[in-house]
Amino acid sequence: MNRYQFLWKKIAWALFTILFVVVLNFFLFRILPGDPVRSGTRDPRLKKDAQEALRIRFGLDKPVIPCFETLNPIKPGDCAVNPFETQFFLYLRNLTQGELGYSFHTNRPVADVLGERLWNTILLIGAGQLLSIVIGVLFGMFAAWKARTSIDYGALITGLVAWSLPTFWLGIILLFWGSNNGFPIGGKATPGISSFPFLYQAGDVFKHMILPTITYTIVYMGEYLLVMRSSLLDVLAEDYILTAKAKGLTTFQILKDHALKNAMLPIVTIIAINLGFTVAGAIQIESVYSWPGLGGAVYEALERRDYPVLQGVFLLIAVSVVLANLIADLTYSFLDPRVQAD
Amino acid sequence: MAFQTVEIKPAVPSSPLLGFWRIFSKNRMAVVGLVMLVVSIVVAVFAPLITPYDPQTSAGLTSGDIYNPPSAEHWLGTDDAGKDVFSSFIYGSRVSLIVGFFAAFISIVIGGVIGIVAGYYGGRLENLLMRFTDLLLVIPDLPLIVVIVALTKPSLFNIIFVIGILGWTTTARIVRSQTLAVKSRKFVLRARAIGAGNRHIIIHHVLPLVLPLLVVNAILVISLAILNESTLSFLGLGDPTAISWGQMLNFAFGRGAMSAGAWWALATPGFGIVWVVLALTLLGHGLEQVLNPRLESHHLMPGRLTVQSEAEVESTEKARRRESPVLLDVRNLSVQFVNNGTVAQAVQDVSFQLHEGEMMGLVGESGCGKTTLIMALNRLLPASGQISNGHVYFHGKDIASASEEELADVRWSGISIVFQGAMNALNPVRTVGDQIREAIVKHIPTMTPDQVDKRIVELLELVGITADHKDHFPHQYSGGMRQRAMIAMALSCNPQVVIADEPTTALDVMIQAQILELLDALRKRLGLAIIFVTHDLGVVAEMCDSVLVMYGGVTAEHADVDTIYNAPRHPYTQELLKAFPDLSQPEKRLVSIPGYPPKLDALPAGCRFAPRCPLAFERCLVEMPKQYELPGHHIASCHLVES
Amino acid sequence: MKTKYNFLVVVTLLALIVSACGTAGPTTPVVLRVGWGGSPDTLNPGTGVLTEAYTIFALVYDTLYEFQLDGTYKLDVADSVNVADDGLTYTFKIHDGIKFHDGQPMTAKDVAFSLNLYKNNTDFIYLNAYTANFDTIEAPDDSTVVIKMLNAVPNIDYLLSYLYIVPEHIWKDYAEAPASTEFENLQTIGTGPFKMLEYSPNEFVRLGANKDHFANPPKIDEAIFQTFESDDVLVQSLKSGAVDMITEMPATAVESLKGDKTISVVTGAPFAPAVSDVIFNQIDPENCPTDVGGVCTGHPALRDRNVRLALSQATDKQKLIDIVLLGFGAPGLTLIPDGLGKWYNNSLQDYKYDAAEANRILDDAGYLDTNSDGVREIPDGSRPLTFRMHWPSDSIDGPRMAELLSEMWGEVGVTLELQAIDPDALTAECCPAFDYDIILWGWGSDPDPNLLLSVYATSEIPNGYNETGYSNPAYDELYLQQGVELDPEKRKDLVWQMQEIVFNDVVYVIPYYEETIQAYRTDRFTGWITDTPKVELSDVSSLIVVEPVK
Repeated sequence: MNRYQFLWKKIAWALFTILFVVVLNFFLFRILPGDPVRSGTRDPRLKKDAQEALRIRFGLDKPVIPCFETLNPIKPGDCAVNPFETQFFLYLRNLTQGELGYSFHTNRPVADVLGERLWNTILLIGAGQLLSIVIGVLFGMFAAWKARTSIDYGALITGLVAWSLPTFWLGIILLFWGSNNGFPIGGKATPGISSFPFLYQAGDVFKHMILPTITYTIVYMGEYLLVMRSSLLDVLAEDYILTAKAKGLTTFQILKDHALKNAMLPIVTIIAINLGFTVAGAIQIESVYSWPGLGGAVYEALERRDYPVLQGVFLLIAVSVVLANLIADLTYSFLDPRVQAD
Repeated sequence: MAFQTVEIKPAVPSSPLLGFWRIFSKNRMAVVGLVMLVVSIVVAVFAPLITPYDPQTSAGLTSGDIYNPPSAEHWLGTDDAGKDVFSSFIYGSRVSLIVGFFAAFISIVIGGVIGIVAGYYGGRLENLLMRFTDLLLVIPDLPLIVVIVALTKPSLFNIIFVIGILGWTTTARIVRSQTLAVKSRKFVLRARAIGAGNRHIIIHHVLPLVLPLLVVNAILVISLAILNESTLSFLGLGDPTAISWGQMLNFAFGRGAMSAGAWWALATPGFGIVWVVLALTLLGHGLEQVLNPRLESHHLMPGRLTVQSEAEVESTEKARRRESPVLLDVRNLSVQFVNNGTVAQAVQDVSFQLHEGEMMGLVGESGCGKTTLIMALNRLLPASGQISNGHVYFHGKDIASASEEELADVRWSGISIVFQGAMNALNPVRTVGDQIREAIVKHIPTMTPDQVDKRIVELLELVGITADHKDHFPHQYSGGMRQRAMIAMALSCNPQVVIADEPTTALDVMIQAQILELLDALRKRLGLAIIFVTHDLGVVAEMCDSVLVMYGGVTAEHADVDTIYNAPRHPYTQELLKAFPDLSQPEKRLVSIPGYPPKLDALPAGCRFAPRCPLAFERCLVEMPKQYELPGHHIASCHLVES
Repeated sequence: MKTKYNFLVVVTLLALIVSACGTAGPTTPVVLRVGWGGSPDTLNPGTGVLTEAYTIFALVYDTLYEFQLDGTYKLDVADSVNVADDGLTYTFKIHDGIKFHDGQPMTAKDVAFSLNLYKNNTDFIYLNAYTANFDTIEAPDDSTVVIKMLNAVPNIDYLLSYLYIVPEHIWKDYAEAPASTEFENLQTIGTGPFKMLEYSPNEFVRLGANKDHFANPPKIDEAIFQTFESDDVLVQSLKSGAVDMITEMPATAVESLKGDKTISVVTGAPFAPAVSDVIFNQIDPENCPTDVGGVCTGHPALRDRNVRLALSQATDKQKLIDIVLLGFGAPGLTLIPDGLGKWYNNSLQDYKYDAAEANRILDDAGYLDTNSDGVREIPDGSRPLTFRMHWPSDSIDGPRMAELLSEMWGEVGVTLELQAIDPDALTAECCPAFDYDIILWGWGSDPDPNLLLSVYATSEIPNGYNETGYSNPAYDELYLQQGVELDPEKRKDLVWQMQEIVFNDVVYVIPYYEETIQAYRTDRFTGWITDTPKVELSDVSSLIVVEPVK
């Protein structure tokens, strides 16, 4: 198989996956119980006709799919209904037009709601992932290089303990510690400094990022450390390392030119897989540190049965995971020339 | 490269379980994890006996009891409802363990079945199942769990069910690949050949081999399930009627423990989660090491320093028959391996001289110390190996005591190695040209990049590889090309000595012949000295000037090639020759030597060949023969030679 | 562990460097920082739901009437009001010279436009409820607004206090659906004492002082409302000085803040009355609203007043208040809380906590434990007194209360099956489905008793707001009467009578009326209004008078 076929196959699979998520998204939230019109607000001002008005505004008056008015509770409907007038079709049509709909809760376009939060999450996750990868990989390398020494055991135990820490608990403990030591503990910036110089604002955001980023880094560093360590241990036992040594290369040269690239291969895959999990981690960290990101959006949308937002978030997560996997596959094929041959 | 690390096998245990336990108990990490886990299980089972208060009752509590600091009455203080934190903490272990074990059980069963079915039956079914698994991996499980639990009833049963049913994907993947590996094993094929049913094969042959891996995976899945449960509870989606550690944290965080300064209400449940998860992680990690042991060492671990146990002995070989100067002078070289305190003598008291342009054959059965010897020449021994005596003079410099910098200079530009199995000896992710370039740049820094490029092409052409293969990766080469590329690499820095370690094993006969011709031609053209390690006495007879026969780590016989073939004095050499087909005597019956070379950590007291020697007598069993010097620079270590 | 320690040190150093750079920032105006737990869902008054949105609207907009913390209303942008004798026509004289934040003058035209906007937009579902009785709203000239009513109502001041005056010159483009609901109104131009400077959803709302306000120019320059996800973090932020005032905090923190001289804690009735209730499913199967999904699976024993009375007497409300609220609450009687001031019937004497008496009531009524399993059965012996008790899973106090009730009621031979349910699923099973036995829930409400009283009305059963299924024609009659009684004193009497009826029928057990707990730093701002019956430091009355400590 040549490179293009390889690429095409991967892309086709990625598209199929996204399609699957799109469909799953729709039905998941319609099979699970809940009525978005009444959720969150039990208010006597919301009379029957007002509820009906909301239903029409959200498009929930239309049948979900032909033959079914609603899926939970299952309420059979007219099978002869125009399929283009069903919620499912309208959902698909809007998606193809790049429209994610309007939030039931804030009446704002979902793309806007998620857009601003996405950047906040990317900022937090990006910094956290970067740090945890760098630290985890460095310490993992160091541990593997110094295998069976106290350094190695120290790193291994640190990695295992870090892996075992519940994210939210570590967040709470650091928050407790940080609030008594002058760290900002909530939000992503001090409000009201938008007129200040850019550097001042950047510094302010940086200060707000410290605690959440440390939390994130500690939790994820453990895994990278463990994987890097075992991966490098395998690589360093390979024959080509002995060849390199026989060539008279220094330890540093061998690590840099022969071991690192090969040992990074599993890390690439894990980073891609982690992207999905990071949002999970983000839910916890964002709720502890009041960080206005995607994790919080999931939680809020859930409380209010804000289906358009939930669908948007899940789609966003799925697309980013699929993309990450795709990028990982491609990176892999660049890092490892053997892949294209398979 | 089948580098013979000395393996020290434990005595065969009486039962497999006992044997497993013996290895397991040596793994400190696994034992600590197991102890921690057992402690938490015991605590969970006997919770009512341990706890001073019943966490279900709040009789007699008032607002004065809320968030009281640790005291004699309440060892870990009280919580937001005035209850004893210690008691809740103990009871909390029950929920965490129950959720962990049951959810993991569901995951493992689903993942196990899907993995085995996919791996065993293969084909379209496998494709379908694994694609489905891939799809589920795209959906982040925690948000999905959160959504489902939130929208259904957050009861313990639901939580277990949802966590379990979404947590099987990694298990399925791991089990599938293990099943694939097991499926092609001989005994499975045999069972199938004799008509055993699929069910029978899966249950009796596949499952037992997949099981250990499944257990390790299960332990990790349990810990993930426990973490997920606590996260759910913390987000307020746990079962509020069950006291779990996540629930305790939810109450503490939601009801102002931090503002009240009640660190005990926050720290205690978190400690519980970390304790159990860490126990499982340690156990899982340890078990994995036990079931799937890694090499004890790698190539970058610092080697052991050379020691000199005896005073230098004058070379047994003085001026030899050749006029050409001595390149490599090995004197009384001994190498030992130190593993867990046991010492194995891999090479003992080997001496030889290598002259310019000489090709020396190094022969002997596997495990006789040939590879150890050549690795010692360049100080490339693994971390457990150590030069315990002797010297390796190269250009008057003793490699045995050289510093790392001096070594780096000698390696490749002085002595280079053609490794056996070039597939593994070449880095798969770098081009061949690149790997050659690296050596040149290192040792001949004066060359410009253009000159280096030219040199690489020259070298490749020298071994019969066209220039357009320069930028190809090793996997794009055929087996013979790789071996030739390896030779080109070995020649790249104009070494004076090339060690060729069985360069032709695993190649077909035609290619073998090509490679050997190439080596011989290069030797003649470039004036190299070559140490040629091989089993193939025919090749040695054809190409080598001298032969060193090794047995059990010592020199059995060392002489020029004619002497060895025509007048071998050591019984081992004689036996080797009997086992070797001779084209000139097609009628000759081939006789293999009964028995095996000695284990290096259990060497016989006398002559090392004595147990297998057809001529052995009493003295051979008690006294080790010294190296007797015979006329014509012929050395043999056999008591028979003396008489 | 050493590595981790070093890592922390490095980060701390970085933080120090950054904070050192930070101190060089420009000098800031007088900014009051408020920490709160939410964020406005929208800045469009037509679609706002959350109380945070209404807090902001109250600061940015003016109204015809303004609700005050002492429970009364006063005229806001109007100088005077004239009510016709039949109570159907109101004529307001609008104050002269009021300007919108963008400098445009505000006239009676804007007032009439705003009220018509709310009245005509059926998508403004919440504000519609307030304009339902308006017939026409007109502005004959720039300083006169005439409102004609369909029916005379006793509480026009209350209705008008939520109808914010928006500028016609901006909103005329968004007067009709769907533009009216999709309009984000980010500028939020109004006439109020504060103007919108910056709005970052789920992060903060930044308001600037409207120093030209016709009546109440604030003394501070800016007020920033910052969102924090948990009460604990709010308290920590107040302690560390990141915010100057917090609008909510856990009761458990009060004790630890008392020792802090720079922090003052204020408690009292909340601005929006909060009632927690124990809902008994007592719907008569004949009233089951099957056409709107009613299934009515409630336990039959709960339809018996004796059982509800026994459960009420078996409830130690003081203990609930002590454990769940740490004492910051008052025992409740009916859905009309003490925070409603004069509407609250304080003459009612609560049922005494007396488990023995409760047992006696059940014995007398024939609920005996015939099979001696510790649980009583209904008189015909066919069903034990085992009730499903559900509460919303987002309630942190719910489980604690359920636990305590389960224990207390266990004393009288009643068992509970405890289960947290997602709020939405709870709504679905609650009403009008009536597919439950007991629910722990609560109400937040307007200052006027009308809405809370409607919860007991038979007419609200199909709407799903009568959550108990309680139906009493005498009560329904009084409910209609109080809705049209113009004399406040007479209306008060009616409301008191209604409370007596539902109290005697033991429709609910009301565990408590929760107090609000707020706190501010004494070293930053002074002048907070804390001596009113209701406590709300983020109310406009406080924010216009607070000034920095000198």
